[in-house]
Amino acid sequence: MIADKSILDSKIPEGPIQEKWANHKASVKLVNPANKRKYTVIVVGTGLAGGAAAATMGELGYNVLNFCIQDSPRRAHSVAAQGGINAAKNYQNDGDSAWRLFYDTIKGGDYRAREANVYRLAELSTSIIDQSVAAGVPFAREYGGTLANRSFGGAQVSRTFYARGQTGQQLLLGAYSALMRQVDSGRVKLFPRREMLDVVKVEGRARGIVCRNLVTGELEKYAADAVCVATGGYSTVFFLSTMAVNCNATAIWRCYKQGALFGNPCFTQIHPTCLPQAGDDQSKLTLMSESLRNDGRVWVPKKKKDDRRPQDIPEDERDYFLERKYPAFGNLAPRDISSRAAKEVCDAGYGVGPTGFSVYLDFGEAIGRLGENVIRERYGNLFSMYHEITDENPYEQPMRIYPAPHYTMGGLWVDYNLMTTIPGLYALGEANFSDHGANRLGASALMQGLADGYFVIPSTISDFLAEHRPDGLNTTHEAFTEIEQKVADQTKQLLGINGSKTVREYHWELGRIMWERVGMARNDEGLKKAITDIQALRTDYWKNVKVGGEGQELNKNLEFAGRVADFLELGELMARDALTREESCGGHFREEHQTDDGEAKRDDERFCHVAAWEYKGDNETPARHEENLTFDNAKLTQRSYK
Amino acid sequence: MKVNVKVWRQENKDAQGRFETYEVVNLIPEMSFLEMLDTLNEQLLKRGERPVEFDSDCREGICGTCGLVIDGMAHGPKRACTTCELRMRNFNDGSTITVEPFRAQGFPVLRDLVVDRSAFDRIISAGGYVSVNSGSAPDANAIPIPKDIAERAMDSAACIGCGACVAACPNASASLFVGAKITQFSLLPQGQAERHKRAVRMIETMDNEGFGNCSNHAECEAACPKNISIDNIARMRREYMKGSLKAV
Amino acid sequence: MSVISIWNSTIGKKVVMAITGIGLMLFLVVHLAGNLLLFVPDEGQAFNQYGAALKSMGPFLYVIRGGLLAFFLFHIFAAIQVYTSKKRARSGRYAVETSKGGPSKMTVASKSMIVTGAVLLIFVPLHIYMFGMNKGAPPPMVMIDGNEIKDIYSMVATSFNQLGIVVFYVATMLFLGFHLRHGFWSALQSLGAMSPRWTPAIYTAGFVFAFLLAGGFVVLPVYFYFFIDAPVASAGGAL
Repeated sequence: MIADKSILDSKIPEGPIQEKWANHKASVKLVNPANKRKYTVIVVGTGLAGGAAAATMGELGYNVLNFCIQDSPRRAHSVAAQGGINAAKNYQNDGDSAWRLFYDTIKGGDYRAREANVYRLAELSTSIIDQSVAAGVPFAREYGGTLANRSFGGAQVSRTFYARGQTGQQLLLGAYSALMRQVDSGRVKLFPRREMLDVVKVEGRARGIVCRNLVTGELEKYAADAVCVATGGYSTVFFLSTMAVNCNATAIWRCYKQGALFGNPCFTQIHPTCLPQAGDDQSKLTLMSESLRNDGRVWVPKKKKDDRRPQDIPEDERDYFLERKYPAFGNLAPRDISSRAAKEVCDAGYGVGPTGFSVYLDFGEAIGRLGENVIRERYGNLFSMYHEITDENPYEQPMRIYPAPHYTMGGLWVDYNLMTTIPGLYALGEANFSDHGANRLGASALMQGLADGYFVIPSTISDFLAEHRPDGLNTTHEAFTEIEQKVADQTKQLLGINGSKTVREYHWELGRIMWERVGMARNDEGLKKAITDIQALRTDYWKNVKVGGEGQELNKNLEFAGRVADFLELGELMARDALTREESCGGHFREEHQTDDGEAKRDDERFCHVAAWEYKGDNETPARHEENLTFDNAKLTQRSYK
Repeated sequence: MKVNVKVWRQENKDAQGRFETYEVVNLIPEMSFLEMLDTLNEQLLKRGERPVEFDSDCREGICGTCGLVIDGMAHGPKRACTTCELRMRNFNDGSTITVEPFRAQGFPVLRDLVVDRSAFDRIISAGGYVSVNSGSAPDANAIPIPKDIAERAMDSAACIGCGACVAACPNASASLFVGAKITQFSLLPQGQAERHKRAVRMIETMDNEGFGNCSNHAECEAACPKNISIDNIARMRREYMKGSLKAV
Repeated sequence: MSVISIWNSTIGKKVVMAITGIGLMLFLVVHLAGNLLLFVPDEGQAFNQYGAALKSMGPFLYVIRGGLLAFFLFHIFAAIQVYTSKKRARSGRYAVETSKGGPSKMTVASKSMIVTGAVLLIFVPLHIYMFGMNKGAPPPMVMIDGNEIKDIYSMVATSFNQLGIVVFYVATMLFLGFHLRHGFWSALQSLGAMSPRWTPAIYTAGFVFAFLLAGGFVVLPVYFYFFIDAPVASAGGAL
C-alpha cells in the first residue's frame, strides 16, 4: 500500500488555509471572454451541482451541453433535501465563522476530508446564500424581514438556512431557473431523458460522452473540450434507500472503468429516522426529519417478540436503549450511533412492527409534558405524513422508525480543481468524494453541491481549458465510434440473456447483501462473504437476467438493467474498500475496531488517508492508492458522545 | 388484497392507444400506488409481456415526476397527494381502477403512461427566473423581505411542476403552473425588474405550447398536490394585463 | 405588443369575456329592475311609463343598444374561441372524469357554459324580435303623460298567458341562472379583481346573484300566467 503520488496529486495551493482559494483564483489561467464560446463543456446532471455549474458556465460564455435522465432538470434528486443549508453568515451573532464551519465539518467527517477543500467550502457558503436569495429563493424570514436560521444536527451555532421542509427543492429551483435563463439565451443546450453510458477519451483526455436517448433508445455521441459529471450518489446500491428510484452510479462507474479513481467508496451514511419497510415489494424508504428526536424517546420492549400494543406495555417493561447506552446524549446521539443501536436491538429480536425491524419513537411523554398542541406546532406536517403512509396516528401511539441508507460520501476522486484522474473529466457534488470525509453533517450536502457548481468549477475549469485550445475534434473520431459500439454491445448482451429472474429481483438480493454486510456495522468475515456473494450474484446476473423489450424504444427496465449491472460491480468495490479500511470512522464502523464502550475507534496511524481505487479490468482486483491527509489546522481528536 | 387495473397502453407517440385490464394480486394496503404498478410489471415481465411504462423518481412527493389520472382524478382520489404518496388502502379490495396518462395537447403521450412535459421547461425558460449572474449578488440580508411576503412567495414556489393542474383542467390549461411562478417573483423584491416582461413572455409561451384557456373551474387547485391556490391565476392575469398594456 | 396580441392571448380573451360579461350582467340587473314594475298593481301604468322614459332617451338609447350589441358579440366571439382552444388543448378524452372536490368550482354550471350560452344566444334574438320589435303581440296604444305610446304592459300580459311562451321563458331563464352561477364569479376571477380572502364570499355571491336574477325573470311569466288575465283586446300573442 504505497501511495502513488504521480496519480494522486491533490494540487492543493500553497499558503495559509484562509488564503489558498483566493490565491488559487488569482493564479489560474483564464480564457479570453471572446474565446469562451469556442469551448464546449459537457455537464451531466442537473441537480444543485450540475445545474448550477451549467448555468454559471453558460453565463461566462462557454458553450454548454447539459444532460439529465429525468424529463426535466428540475427533478434532480437534490429536490428532496428537507432540512436546510449551512452557511457561515453569522447573522445570529453567535460566534460563527468560516473557520468554525470548517472545523465542524472536518470533525463531523471524522478527519477523513481534505482540509483545503473543506475550508474553501466554508468560505463559499456565504456567497451561496447571497446568490440564492438574489435568484428569488424564498428562505424563511423573521418578522423584521431578515433571514431566519436554525440550529441543525447538533451544531452549537444557528447557521442553517431553510425554506420550510423543502430547502432542497427551493435551492434546486433557484439553480434550475438560472439554468433555464441560459437555455433561453442559447448558451446552454439541454438534453433531458438522456442517460450517460460512457465517457470518451481521446489521447487520455475526456473529450465527450455516449448517452442513450431514453425515449427513442438511440445512442447519441457528444464531443466537448471538458466533461463534468454531477450525477449524485449511489445509495440505491442498497436497493432500499432514501434516494430516488432513478438515482444510480452508472455515470461515475463508467468513468471509473475508464480510469478515473474512485475515492472512499465505502463511506456511506445511514440515516436513523426513516419509516420502516412495510413489505418486500417496497421501492424506497421515506426519510423523516431528524428533528423528531428532540422530543421523541426511542425504545423497544424488554421482552423479545412482544406483540402487545405499545400503549399496553408498562413503563418498566420498556428499554429506552439510547438513553441507557448514551446517558449524556440520549435520544440525540449522532446519526451513525443511533442507527447502529437500533439495528443491534432489532437483530437481537427486540424489534417491533410487522417485520420486527423497527423501533418506537414515542412522543407520549412529550405530549404529556408540553401538550398535544405544542407537538402539533413543531411536527404537525411530519406527523400527518407519517399518519398518511402508515395509517397509524402518532399522537395516539408511538411512531415506528428504522435506519436507511441516505447519502454517499464516497465518489470519484478529484483534486482541488475538482478534476478526476482523467484530464478534462471533472466530478461535482455528491458524485465526488471530496468534502465530507467519513460522515456528512446535516445541511452540508446542499452547500457542497452549490459551492462546486456556482463557484468552484467555473473558476477552476478555465485553468485546464486555457491550456487545451479547441481543436475541432468531433464525434466522427474513431474513439467515439468505438465507445458507442461498446455501449451498444452491452445493451445487446443484456437484452439477449433472456433468463428467468428480473432485474428487480437481482437488485433486491444485492441490496440484502449490502445492507447486511456492508451496512451500518461491518466486519472482516462479513465483508469477505459479501465480496464472494456479490461476485456470484453478478455471474448469475449475466447468465440469467430477464430484461425484456427492445433497445430502440422507451424501456425503463433496460435502463435499470444497466444500472444494476454497475451496482453489482460497485457493491464489491465498496466491500473491498470497507475491508481494507481496518478502522472505524464516521459512517464506516468496523466491529473489530471499537472502544470498550462500543464507540468508533479511528486509526490515524494507518488510515489517515483517502483510499482511491483504480480499475484494473473486469474481474481483476482493483489497485488501492492513498492520498495522505494532513491536519495542520484542525487537531486530530477522537469523537466522543457519551 | 388484489385489484384489477385498467391501464392505458400506447406503443409510442403516434400510435393508437387502448385499455388493457390486468389483475394484480398479493398487494398490501401499505403499498403505494406505484409499488402496485411495480408489482404488476414484475408479473408482466415474468409472463414475457411488455411492462407498463410510467414515470416516477423520488417517490416521496417532491420531484413532480410521477403523475397518473386514477379513476378520473389527477394523482388519484386523495387531495394534496402525489401518485407516489397514494397508498393502496384508499382502494377497495377487488375493485377495478382506471389508470390513464395525463391528457393534454401540451403533454403528448410518449408511451403508455409516460408523457412529455417539456413544455413546462420552455415556459420557465421564457422568463421564470431572476436575471442575476453567479457571483454578482448583494448580501442576502441587504433587502429585507417581510415574513408574510416571503411566506406567500413560498406558497407559490412550492409547485413541483408535476402538471396535475393541466391534467385536471377540463381545458388543459397551464394557468396554475404559470401563475404560481409569476406570483412568486412578482411578490419578491428580486423579481421586480423583469416583472411585467416576465409575465407577458411566459404567457405567450404558454399559449404557443397549446394549453387551453382558464375557465375558472378551479379543479386544478383541487388536484394540486401542493394545494396551490387559484389566487395565483388571478394575480398572473393582473401582472399580464399591467405588463401588456404598458407595452402597447 | 399590440392590442391584437392581447386579444389573441388566453388572458386577454378572458378579460374581454369578463368585461363584456359584467356589462351584460349590469344590463340584466337594470332590465329586471324595470320588469319588476310589472308587479305594480296599476294596470301597467308604471311599466308603460318606464317604457316611455326609455323611449324619450332618443338617440342615446341607440348608443346603449349599440354598446350592448357590441358587448354581446364580443362575448360570444371570445367564448367560441375559448371553446375551440379548449377542444384543441384537450383533444384526447379521459375514459373517466371525476372532480376531486374540495376547492374545486367545477360544476354542471361551469362545464356547460358553452351550452347555456348557446341557449341564450338563440333566446336573445327571439326575445328582441318578440318584444323589442313588437313582432310577437302587436300592442295596442295607450296614453302616458299626454303622449300616445305602445301598451307594452298588455303585450307582456298577453304573451305570458300562453303556456308555450311561459314554459319557453322559464326554461331559458334556468339556463341563464346556470350561466350566471359560474359567470359572475368567473368574471371577477378573470379580472384578477379579488383578494384571496374574498374568494369564498364572491363565489357565494355568484350563487345568490344568479338565483335572484334568474328567479326574478322566472317569477314574471309564472305570475302573469296564473294571476293576471290577458287583456281582452289583443288575443294573438307572441311566437
